[in-house]
Amino acid sequence: MIHPQFSTLPRLPGRKAQASLPAASRRPQGSMLTRLTRSGALLFCMLSALLFVPTAPLRAQALKKSAFRAWERSIVTIEVARRDYDYYQPWVKRTQRLQKTGLVANAREILTTADGMFDCTLVRVQKNGRGQWWTGEVTWIDYSANLALVTVADAGFWSELKPASFGASLPSSGALEILRWRDGNLENRSAEFTRFTVVEGQLSQINQVVLEADSEIQNVGWGEPIIANSHVVGIVRARENRTCIATPASVVQAILEARRKGQFHGLGHFPFVWQPADNPAVLAYLKLPGPPRGVVIIDVPPRQDGCEAVLKPRDILLSIDGFNLDVQGDYQDPEFGTLILESLSTRQKWAGDTMTMQLWREGKPMTVNYHLPKFEYTNSLVPAAAYDQEPEYLIAGGLVFQPLTGPYLKSWGAEWRSSAPFRLRHFDQDPASQDRPALVLLSQVLPDAYNIGYQELRSLVVDRVNGQRISRLSELRDALRKPLNGFHIIDFLPSDSLHRLVLGAGEPEREATQRVLKRYGIAEESCIVANVASKPEPTPSKK
Amino acid sequence: MFIRTLAFLLGAAWVAVASAGQPERSAIQILTYAQQPSWDAPWRFDAVRAQGGSGFVIKGKRIMTNAHVVSWGRQIIVRRYQDPRPYVAEVQYIGHDCDLAVLTVADERFFEGIEPLELGGLPEVRSTVITYGYPAGGEEISYTRGVVSRIELEPYSHAGNRQFLSVQTDAAINPGNSGGPVIQEGRVAGVAFQNIPSLQGAGFFIPVPVIEHFLKDIADGHYDGFPYTGIRMVTLQNLDYRRFLKLPDDGLGARVDGLLPIPETQQVLKPDDVILRIGTYPVASDGTILYESNRLSAALAFQFAQVGESFPLQIWREGKAMEVSLPARAYDGDRTSGYQHDTLPRYFVYGGLVFTPLSFDYLRALGASVSEPANRELYYELYYRRFEAPESVRPEPIVLTSVLADAVNANLKIRGRMLVDQINGVRIEKLEDVARAFEANTNTVDVIQFLPHNVFECLDRGEVARANPQILKTYGIPKDRRL
Repeated sequence: MIHPQFSTLPRLPGRKAQASLPAASRRPQGSMLTRLTRSGALLFCMLSALLFVPTAPLRAQALKKSAFRAWERSIVTIEVARRDYDYYQPWVKRTQRLQKTGLVANAREILTTADGMFDCTLVRVQKNGRGQWWTGEVTWIDYSANLALVTVADAGFWSELKPASFGASLPSSGALEILRWRDGNLENRSAEFTRFTVVEGQLSQINQVVLEADSEIQNVGWGEPIIANSHVVGIVRARENRTCIATPASVVQAILEARRKGQFHGLGHFPFVWQPADNPAVLAYLKLPGPPRGVVIIDVPPRQDGCEAVLKPRDILLSIDGFNLDVQGDYQDPEFGTLILESLSTRQKWAGDTMTMQLWREGKPMTVNYHLPKFEYTNSLVPAAAYDQEPEYLIAGGLVFQPLTGPYLKSWGAEWRSSAPFRLRHFDQDPASQDRPALVLLSQVLPDAYNIGYQELRSLVVDRVNGQRISRLSELRDALRKPLNGFHIIDFLPSDSLHRLVLGAGEPEREATQRVLKRYGIAEESCIVANVASKPEPTPSKK
Repeated sequence: MFIRTLAFLLGAAWVAVASAGQPERSAIQILTYAQQPSWDAPWRFDAVRAQGGSGFVIKGKRIMTNAHVVSWGRQIIVRRYQDPRPYVAEVQYIGHDCDLAVLTVADERFFEGIEPLELGGLPEVRSTVITYGYPAGGEEISYTRGVVSRIELEPYSHAGNRQFLSVQTDAAINPGNSGGPVIQEGRVAGVAFQNIPSLQGAGFFIPVPVIEHFLKDIADGHYDGFPYTGIRMVTLQNLDYRRFLKLPDDGLGARVDGLLPIPETQQVLKPDDVILRIGTYPVASDGTILYESNRLSAALAFQFAQVGESFPLQIWREGKAMEVSLPARAYDGDRTSGYQHDTLPRYFVYGGLVFTPLSFDYLRALGASVSEPANRELYYELYYRRFEAPESVRPEPIVLTSVLADAVNANLKIRGRMLVDQINGVRIEKLEDVARAFEANTNTVDVIQFLPHNVFECLDRGEVARANPQILKTYGIPKDRRL
């Protein structure tokens, strides 16, 4: 990761807010409209969607008619019914439906983005833009790569369908087209290639190369193919203003190919922090002779997969896998041109693969083998996401405990980076450590006579319960089973607010919990996902 | 904490002719020409600004007013009621924590014919008071009448990080009223000092107990300030917690939840002690004391003693009541977290890199809001580290505030707003360390490392030595340091 002070990498703000919109924006559905939301903005968007009138006529001028018709056999619509959680009230369960685009990629495989597919309860697929919906099944999903494969068991579905062909080269004119089904017709909108660049993913913090194209098309970013010369050149995964952000087809193909060969174990990433080396005094201080080149490693967090860190602060990183780095951290990619070095962590190398790095350390050159670590959400003290997992909570005597996670912080709305409580936000970029792999919060107190005196408490990070160090809800549950002399002693991380509270254990606590569940209409007193391994599995490494 | 704004008078006024002995004859108009430093360019000053306020004569030929009326004053002009002559006044004592100041006037004639006002007591709620002062909106003295609405501990916005007894009234208190007397039955009930712009009919004045504490403090010729114990007292209303502490359910006692690193306090108290009585005031389980018929935060009881005295406390520890004595000490370990006054910011300039202590004033000058993610490290350092990681606290965290563009630093990517970790391998604990780390370096390169993530920059020492004088000249910096 480049140090934020120097970073030119764009984020994709507000992407999550958009995640619940695609169905509404294309084809409003009753269930969407009655969905309660905590976000006024979201509600506004949904109301606007009601007023949305398709104004763009089909435009097939660029594609010849026959070629255009051929795409009708390769593009399908996917409907996903999924659970939608409110992390402020983690026991509340809602569902949501959305529609996105799929691409017939191989025999009986439909390719789409992973976005919107998490926590899904039902997947259905429709071909020809109309008619029957066929029950589908997600056969593979990778959130770090933002890709998913869906299949349909019924053989009848596959008649008439034909895999799309993928291509790598772009036309010199830069003219591209984006296709999707809309109201029973295949919509074809023109787009103009702008650049290849590296951005942070919307489902992970991995920086990956993307194809950016400029287009008028609205509400894309849900797996629509970008076409050039009758080949798919990218899959649209997000849109910002007029810019469609797509995963290049060659990147998709490389991942699918590695998966077929059993070599894909998730995307890797570079967890080290570096700074550009464009201050000659820095290179002189590090005694690098010759022309300025390379970047300076400044922070190397301990590896969580048991591998040796290899790099050290104040190493100059000169090249990765033979790609020389300039002082800005850019290299020349044979396919995409000038890209920032982060792109090499996903360029035809996957988690567990070995890379060769050339370094300049303490005045001498050296070559090291770098085992590419797997990106895991749990590498962060505050995991940015927990897909396919119900929100965890535990209610004890009205005290509501929850893990501190990205989705919890995002329950403060799209502006959570400035509106969530400062102290909680500040944990957000800390790495998980052996000592403290995760955090548990007292998120709120549901008032009951038992917890009088504590009812105003909010968002306090739990340090110890009954003397036991707490990083996970399961540890908290276990600690509550071992009260000290009939009391629960709950210590919070020292901060500018409360440090300790004490409550009676045993029958009064159990009675209070039952009263609270009944009074506030909560079905279960806890939802604790099977304990996450306290030590992440070692990244599979290939020799 | 900083929602209150200070009251200032912008206009100046005078009208001739004295009149008979009334409180208004003792009310004084004050005009201060003040000049504040630029906290983000600490060798520079903002433009001189005229700020007006009020005051009143107290015994001993002195004028009492608010500290904020005369802070950063370069010249203070005082005027008597209906007297055309301006007199020059000087600050004799100033208490920035309690927002009070005492002025003297060298010209003896100023006090001729003015009766000093006598201090009264704490007014009762629902009773009536009258303010005297020179607020904006006209030139004559202004009177407003109001009811005492409530009495509470309130944040005093002049320093921003202290709370004292404060009286709220619906008598209009507007910019320029600051420092003026609030009168009840011919005696001073308080000094008008702040309002809340968003609330109509809510003015605040500093009541007599705070004024008397200030006057007693300065009687020895030195202002020590109010004692500060650094105790976080919390309510103790949960019955299980009381049972855990073996404390009867009698509605008494507030719990010590945390202590700031103040040795005098830490030697006497521990977390989970319960404070039952402070001096003669029993402490209730909601953390209050009964003071002159008002239920007020028990923190008030820690403000009655003078620095150097002590508080007799009854506490509950390990199932027993016991008597302890807590020394009353002033504390300025958190001064950078509030507004600082009358002390010029310290800085050191080297190779165009400007280093200064991290402070709330600095963040405010930058317009650096706590909600901007870019400022989170600075806010954490200023407001949280001392609670959360006391072992890593630096006495005076230093920031690189800006880089004054010059060829010598043109290649630096870091342009400011960064916390300094080390310079030439020396951990930077205070500003003096910065100067020493640069001056003691014998290598050809200076290495400056920042927080977090060990970002660092290098400067060529020889080039810096050549460039330094020119940089100071170009940017009009009189001296390279104020340590």
